[in-house]
Amino acid sequence: VYYRYPKGIQYFKKEVKRRKYHFSEHRPWTAEFKEENAPRKQMKKVFLEPIREWKIFKGDRVEILTGDDKGKQGIVSQVIQERNWVIVEGLNCQLKKIGWSKGFPGIMIKSEKPLLVTSEVKLVDPSDLKLTEVEWRFTESGEKVRVSLRTGRIIPMPHAAQETYDYKTKSTYKESVKDTKDEEVTEITYKPSLKTFEMDIMSIMGIKEDRIPHKTYWY
Amino acid sequence: MNYSLQACSRFTRSILTISKLFTSSIQADAAKCFPRITSFQLCSNFHSTAKRNDLMEFFDDEKNWGQNEVRVGRSWKAEELRIKSNEDLHKLWYILLKEKNMLLTMEEECKQQVRLFPNPERIDKVEESMKNLEKVVLERNEAYFMLETGKTGGRPGYVKIGALGLRHFYRETEHLIPKFMNKKWQSDNASYTHTRDVQDFLQRYKERKFLEKRKARNREKNHVLGLMRRFPNLDMEAVKEQFPSVNIEKIRNSKKARGHKENTI
Repeated sequence: VYYRYPKGIQYFKKEVKRRKYHFSEHRPWTAEFKEENAPRKQMKKVFLEPIREWKIFKGDRVEILTGDDKGKQGIVSQVIQERNWVIVEGLNCQLKKIGWSKGFPGIMIKSEKPLLVTSEVKLVDPSDLKLTEVEWRFTESGEKVRVSLRTGRIIPMPHAAQETYDYKTKSTYKESVKDTKDEEVTEITYKPSLKTFEMDIMSIMGIKEDRIPHKTYWY
Repeated sequence: MNYSLQACSRFTRSILTISKLFTSSIQADAAKCFPRITSFQLCSNFHSTAKRNDLMEFFDDEKNWGQNEVRVGRSWKAEELRIKSNEDLHKLWYILLKEKNMLLTMEEECKQQVRLFPNPERIDKVEESMKNLEKVVLERNEAYFMLETGKTGGRPGYVKIGALGLRHFYRETEHLIPKFMNKKWQSDNASYTHTRDVQDFLQRYKERKFLEKRKARNREKNHVLGLMRRFPNLDMEAVKEQFPSVNIEKIRNSKKARGHKENTI
């Protein structure tokens, strides 16, 4: 959002913002993203192949099909769904020279290039470490799992995929004072009754409203 | 693990007994019966949180002052709130409100002191929880009104055609006097007979709208053709989901859908 009109009856309820955002390897809260999506900046159109169910997650073992590192297997370190990209740790790299000047040769930096999920990368079955096509299926207990079509084995979700901003893994999360416990969250206290929210609260708190409101007209 | 002060069953039961004795609000009850003890202390017997003065509740726990990080759980989801009773939701609303006020105070104070405000996403989490709570409460009220009256209990509104022939959604307001007596309202909301000018304007407006829609349709069609050219193994079901208005069968065999000869079968 570039500009929000101030709050007031004399202003429009409008936001001046970009219609389409250009996503890249830089995440939306970074300065590079802001630069790429600056007002009036035109970036080349990105064609994104629509995918219904996402199959590759952070921490998965994956084999690269194209490029210099063809045939090599690696672990996914980052997933960028907005571009159907996957960044594999240490593979498909490019060397970049930074800070070179007269007399100073500069520093070489190696960074991974993103790979397209649909064509350049394929999941690897952890049991025999070979390529497979993967499908989402339901187990007998009702759990949704990834099944490799070649071997028929279940590919488990990697531990790194459960990472959020709040915690690395669910077991390593330290509860804070203000958190509600699991048992209290799942406890069902709702008893449906033919009352509105306000009527229910009034009956519990013993508030009695005997006053008859003045007749009003809605038009 | 949810981010809220513990609105647990022990708290509910204790407050229920007190509310039967007094007929005032929840906050007043807490102040009368348990001076200066806040809600979470009633149920968390093993947590040792300090007593707070009434105004110091606007500020965070002193341990968190000057910290770089204050880790906290996620927001309440609508599914989790739907299983809670109205009473619990009512209490949770005020807990969330107090938490939000506390966070906003801390944010402002950090700005004034030019210090880092740790984890500003806490405010977003609380706002999300409050939004979900309101959604659940509105759902329940709407269900009652639809059952009893056949209409949602919300503010009535209808589509009205204005002076220029354009349609606006008009929301009804509450008045003390009926419509036939309200001269001011009648003069403000007079109905118009559409003249020739309005008809001409509407014709041109509709033409413009039609052209915009046609351009949008063509744009989508060309985008799908571009996808077909670039991705030989395109998932047609996914394309249909994303672009329902595009007729894929019709454009599949067109020249523009053909990609590089090495990619075509």
